[in-house]
Amino acid sequence: MIKESYNITEEDELVKACLNGDKNAFGEIVNRYQKMVARTVKGMLGDSVFAEDIGQEVFINLYHSLSEFRGEAKLSTYIQKIAVNLTLNEIKRRKRFFSMFSQKANNEMHEFEIADHNSEESREASEIVNKALLAMDPKFRIILTMRMLQGYSTKETAEILDLPIGTVLSRLSRAQEQLRNILVKL
Amino acid sequence: MDASEIKKLIISSLNADTNTVEVSRKLEEEGISYNFSHNFGDKVLNKLFSAGLTINREVEFVKYMNFAFYRIALTGVAAIIVLLISIFLMQGSLSLNSFLGLSDSYDESIVCLLTGN
Repeated sequence: MIKESYNITEEDELVKACLNGDKNAFGEIVNRYQKMVARTVKGMLGDSVFAEDIGQEVFINLYHSLSEFRGEAKLSTYIQKIAVNLTLNEIKRRKRFFSMFSQKANNEMHEFEIADHNSEESREASEIVNKALLAMDPKFRIILTMRMLQGYSTKETAEILDLPIGTVLSRLSRAQEQLRNILVKL
Repeated sequence: MDASEIKKLIISSLNADTNTVEVSRKLEEEGISYNFSHNFGDKVLNKLFSAGLTINREVEFVKYMNFAFYRIALTGVAAIIVLLISIFLMQGSLSLNSFLGLSDSYDESIVCLLTGN
């Protein structure tokens, strides 16, 4: 369905084309940003069956809210904000739902499949990263995901999470403390 | 990169002055990458534009309900087994009277209770 290559390269032109009903233009946006969304969603939720559903929801929400995109920020930032909000909502929803059952059930929902990596070493690296992420408090996990997986600066992290830079800096040090404690046990 | 180096790298990503782009690049080189399925884009477009649109949340709700039902059913079976064992230990049998909490012998207090005399 999605064209292999699309001739529009500029973000704002792609957005305009989408708003004019060009489905292929939206397909191009999905192609360009799906990896970025995967890093956020799977980093936060683990590589569970639900992560891909949330990823799809991110782009569906984007499509429906594209008319509100004013182009003041980068499109990637706009998509990232949607991904972060949906992921955090999903975590809250899971917490509410599974708190009715047992902690074991909650843990089962967090189980992830390790991607098929080539070497034992890279599998071990993935396990460390995924286990560390999932063991962290969600408000610190999102900071780690933005920094470690997305490579965002403090300023960019603050912009995406709609937080003051001071708050992000304070969370960075608290997250680092929690991360150290988690990694000692791994 | 061994496990301790990976751990150091992860921890360093939370230093305010770290070059996080470099951290994420190194991690990707180590095989830590996240992708959706190969036909992810088509799935999104199908959901958006196909006539028989299935709302994602409904599917998810069914998944959750199945999971919840499984948990509830298991808990229920466990409770029934515990109840049967406790009845057997207390009454010495699993007869209907045992279930109803009545002993086999005639108990006139029940008659009194039912008739009021």
